[in-house]
Amino acid sequence: MTAEIQRNEAPGGALGWVDSRLHLGPFIAALLHVRIPADAKTFYLGGITLFLFGIQVVTGTLLALYYSPTPEAAYESVLSITSDVQFGWLIRSMHHWAANLMLVSLVLHLLRIFAQAAYKYPREITWIVGGGLLLITIGFGFTGYLLPWDQRAYWATVVGTEIAGDVPLIGSSLLLLLRGGAEVGEATLARFFGIHVLVLPLLLGGLVALHLLFVHQQGLANPKRAEPRPGRVTAPQPPEKLKPFFPDYILDEVIAWYAVLAGLVILASLFPAGLEPKADPLVTPEHIKPEWYFLAVYQLLKLVPETVGVVAPVALIGIIVLLPLLDRNQEIRPRRRPIAIFLALVLLVAMAVLTYFGGQV
Amino acid sequence: MRTLRTFRPLLLPGLLALGSLFAATIVTAGRPADGPGTGSWTLTVGQATPTPEVPLESAPPLPTPIAHPGDASSTGCVDCHSKVDSKQAAIADDWRASIHAKEGVGCADCHGGDPTSDEITVGMAEARGFQGVPGRDETVGLCGSCHANADRMRPYQVATDQYSKYFSSVHGQRLLIANDDRVAICSDCHGAHGVKPASDPTADVYPLNVPALCASCHADATKMQAYGIPTDQYDVYKLSVHGTQLLEEQDLRAPTCASCHGSHAAKPPRSDEVVQVCGQCHTATQALYEESAHARLEGVGPKCWTCHGTHDVSEPDESLFLHEGGVPDYLCATCHSPTDQSLRLEMDRFEDPADRRCDTCHHERSLIYSQVEAIAGAIGGARDAYDTALHRIDDAAALGMIVTDADVAAQEARTELIKARAAVHTTKLTTISELTDAALAKSAAALDLASSKLAESDFRRQAMVIVIALIALNVLVLIWLRRRLHATN
Repeated sequence: MTAEIQRNEAPGGALGWVDSRLHLGPFIAALLHVRIPADAKTFYLGGITLFLFGIQVVTGTLLALYYSPTPEAAYESVLSITSDVQFGWLIRSMHHWAANLMLVSLVLHLLRIFAQAAYKYPREITWIVGGGLLLITIGFGFTGYLLPWDQRAYWATVVGTEIAGDVPLIGSSLLLLLRGGAEVGEATLARFFGIHVLVLPLLLGGLVALHLLFVHQQGLANPKRAEPRPGRVTAPQPPEKLKPFFPDYILDEVIAWYAVLAGLVILASLFPAGLEPKADPLVTPEHIKPEWYFLAVYQLLKLVPETVGVVAPVALIGIIVLLPLLDRNQEIRPRRRPIAIFLALVLLVAMAVLTYFGGQV
Repeated sequence: MRTLRTFRPLLLPGLLALGSLFAATIVTAGRPADGPGTGSWTLTVGQATPTPEVPLESAPPLPTPIAHPGDASSTGCVDCHSKVDSKQAAIADDWRASIHAKEGVGCADCHGGDPTSDEITVGMAEARGFQGVPGRDETVGLCGSCHANADRMRPYQVATDQYSKYFSSVHGQRLLIANDDRVAICSDCHGAHGVKPASDPTADVYPLNVPALCASCHADATKMQAYGIPTDQYDVYKLSVHGTQLLEEQDLRAPTCASCHGSHAAKPPRSDEVVQVCGQCHTATQALYEESAHARLEGVGPKCWTCHGTHDVSEPDESLFLHEGGVPDYLCATCHSPTDQSLRLEMDRFEDPADRRCDTCHHERSLIYSQVEAIAGAIGGARDAYDTALHRIDDAAALGMIVTDADVAAQEARTELIKARAAVHTTKLTTISELTDAALAKSAAALDLASSKLAESDFRRQAMVIVIALIALNVLVLIWLRRRLHATN
């Protein structure tokens, strides 16, 4: 009887109308009304990455309404979006900057997880899925870079696909798979567009859902307290301080999103996405540079033999993705993990130096 | 004043007499018989026009190619000579790398003898036709015996007129007439044993290397002393627009020494040839020049080199029109006959680039001077408008604006400006003005487009401030909500 009364008192309006049919209330409550460690320091980076992905979906959809994925029309359509379409420049610039910021926030999120050892038990699978998200985001950057079909886009893709072609054993097949022919051309643009707007979003959406599900199931990691492992006796600890995920954490997260949105608007307004002359396969620019996140690999290839330059980054990504399976140390405090922290710092410095010198061409 | 009144009756007939002197020419230049006063500027003038054409001595009859036993596979000479000493070995190496070795031309084809024998007493015996090292006076004939033979050269698709051309050159004529064997012969440019095709970038005769090759003799004061010709051409050429384009930009379209002087038929172009010589590359400019008042003066009119120089051709600009800060006080006799003040127009070339100005010939009180001023003003105005548009486009691009359409308009303006500059060679003010007007219109269009980009950029920045303010307001509301929530909890 009480339940019936409560159900009858369910919210009215559209929400009530939907809920009276789908009974989603308990599900949403289960998603939102969880408690998280008060000591958790996420810096909102995971949420910011998700927010930027949302921006990409919205702006990308708008761009796709005007974009023509053929070598004859691609450049002109981008030019038209930027010059003729109302606020087209803003949409394109937001898409451009959000792509860069998404990668930055994703890497910072990864570094935060690494520093807090949140990839260790029981969150190994969450980390591996996150590694997949990193690869897909890089794939977004690589495929999206070609779409404006200007000189920089074209020649960066020529160089980028050539690097892929140097992968031992599968290089030539990979090159053909990426380009769809001997040269970067119509087939390349068509498949890069298809991968960029269909394959990768579906993959990313699926993996994000999985990632969030795992986070929901495991809760946020407490950087000050290792997760108790089954069958292992640990010293008694005081009860963990917790705080509600909704609305406390969500409110802070939304403020962070607003800050990112403000940054995006400033970047898009002051530094709008540019466009070089139309791609010309017969005119090689004096200096060809890939996008900034490939500069380290680009510079490495100049310094070491080709095979090493290609295999090393692939191996590094493999190590990063499979880190929870390789790092057996159960310690989570950074000071007690000097080797891991030192190696990470060396890697960061090396990548920063390579990126810097890669950009000096 | 009294003197002026006294001579008033003579003034009109005097002016008419002077006018009749000038009527014979289109160019009105110089000032009326001032006489060479102190402090007057002397023009250093090049050769007078037209250069007299000297009858050429005919090329001598072609010698017969050297006959010898064996063929290209007979390597007796090389087998021994490559083992004699390092010098001989180097010669053998040069020959092996040469086009001659590839095409089966061996030692005996130039030196005679018997290459089928490994015995020095046989291979280098006079009885076997051995002739030793050909003399410098024999070399041209020796090379010509094959290279002027159309049947022999047919498989290689190379010209066979080098022999006759050589003997029409300054080099060949001196060899023939003065028996001067210090002049350049075939092997001085092509090498003796290591002959390479001109298309080989390592060959001395490859276009990029030609200036240095010519300079190896012509920049050598000792070698040139006997001929009394300057030796600074290479240094001057290197700094010229042609030299920098060829030597620094490695642009094979740029002229080498041979482009203007000829290679095998090398000699300085005559004044009546120079328009044709420059016109080989500057075809459109030549056509425009042919329409001009200058061209109608034929032999005595100014030519390309009068304004642009020879080896020191520089990027032309508006400074070529008028002297900055006034015309130097040139000597009247430079342009006028000292006897009857008629125009002589013998200034073929001005050695000093500062003299290469329209007002060097066209006196500031002449009608043509005002026309030159109008042309200079039209070109200068069009250039200024173009530069202004470019600066505005740069400003817009620096703010991240896409300026493709403005760039296209500026390119069109530049095209019109280039056409107007080229049209200066017609000396026709109306033609030039039409083109400068078109350049001005295109520059104005480019400027408008760039200005609209700048206005758009301003709008974006203003809109950005409003959006940021709205975001800040939202954040403030959220912070207020957060505090209220914590207070409630």
